[in-house]
Amino acid sequence: MLKKAFFKTIFFRLDARSEVMPIRVLAFAGSPRRGGNSETLLDWVLAAMGSSDDVAIEKIALSDANINPCHGCNACEKLNRCVQNDGFTAIQEKILAADCIIISAPIFCMGINAQTKALIDRAQVFRSRKYVLKLPIVPPERKGKRLGIFLASAGQNWPHVFDAARPSVKCFFHVIEVRDDDISYLMINNVDEKGAILAHPTAKADAEALAGKTLAELRKRLAA
Amino acid sequence: MTVKVLGISGSPHRHGNTETLLDSFLDGAREAGAVVDKIVISEINFTTCRGCNACHKTGDCVLKDDFLDIFAKIEQADCLVIASPIYSMGITAELKSLIDRAQYLWARKFVVKNLSYSPGHMHRHKGFFLSTAGLPLKDVFDYALPTIRAFFNGVGFEYSGNIVFNNMDEVGGIKKHSTALRTTRQKGGEVVRELEKILAGT
Repeated sequence: MLKKAFFKTIFFRLDARSEVMPIRVLAFAGSPRRGGNSETLLDWVLAAMGSSDDVAIEKIALSDANINPCHGCNACEKLNRCVQNDGFTAIQEKILAADCIIISAPIFCMGINAQTKALIDRAQVFRSRKYVLKLPIVPPERKGKRLGIFLASAGQNWPHVFDAARPSVKCFFHVIEVRDDDISYLMINNVDEKGAILAHPTAKADAEALAGKTLAELRKRLAA
Repeated sequence: MTVKVLGISGSPHRHGNTETLLDSFLDGAREAGAVVDKIVISEINFTTCRGCNACHKTGDCVLKDDFLDIFAKIEQADCLVIASPIYSMGITAELKSLIDRAQYLWARKFVVKNLSYSPGHMHRHKGFFLSTAGLPLKDVFDYALPTIRAFFNGVGFEYSGNIVFNNMDEVGGIKKHSTALRTTRQKGGEVVRELEKILAGT
């Protein structure tokens, strides 16, 4: 049952339909609630991106990705790899290969949910590579050609409900070589119950516009 | 009346800076006569919140694991000390897992409405956040605090203070800090003496 659901819905890959190198989009659905508000926001972005022929999308649901929290052992500072062998092992290569990395997450208790925080903390291996071992994260020609998107939903209607999550998200993108200015944010508050985002006046249009804007920017940069 | 102090370490790194700081607080509390208990989240079996919102109907979590024992211990404690290092500008995934699982208490307070804490209850329950960070950034702890505040509100503890030390990478660890462990130990004792007075008056 679980296995079936895993193959049906967790990983899906739209194979590149063009002969040229496709724009590679890697998306993380960080919420433990499948099909909830933050994942719906993500699906809107991915559907809009997927309508282009030159885009290859992979979506990974963190609730099934088997990513343990970081051990804090600092071994990556010497080994240039993580000592844990779990779902993150394959994912880290995908992170490096992607042109656009998207994280969607709900805000729980004023912060990013635990599963998404585990992913962010495991990016420590890239921080060690970049700042301790002083090795490149991506080849020089790909620097400045990677874009990040953070999508979030929150039940609270407070405008500051996303403030505490943002610095962690920035850390993640920073160590995987996505510049601060190259991170886009779409964060929708006051959506709590499953499906609440469907009634939001602008969320879907904003998600689609963000998808279009991101692809246009990536095409420009990748052609340069 | 004996004061009960519960320390919870969210650090995956055993006996590192954060847990050592927590141990100092708990030593001070023990010396002042408290009964002290410590839980290390990375050593227990737990799962993360599923976001299923079942607790919004029943007030109870559908997940049955070691976190149930932790919440039972929290309910018995007079002083709750939550410790986590800062990873990527926030608390660890382990501590966030515990905090996310406290959603059932939020549901009891605001949805099911069968739980509330009186001002007296809050006054008798003191909560502290202990943390260390490698980076020297002045705001390195700031983004953890809203989550900690929400958690203490959920479990019914007055958020009574932060004991935090940054710049650990340069200092070379908490043991090399000139005052951290001593002042934290003192603080542990002070809190117990204050709580003894409060509990004697009730």
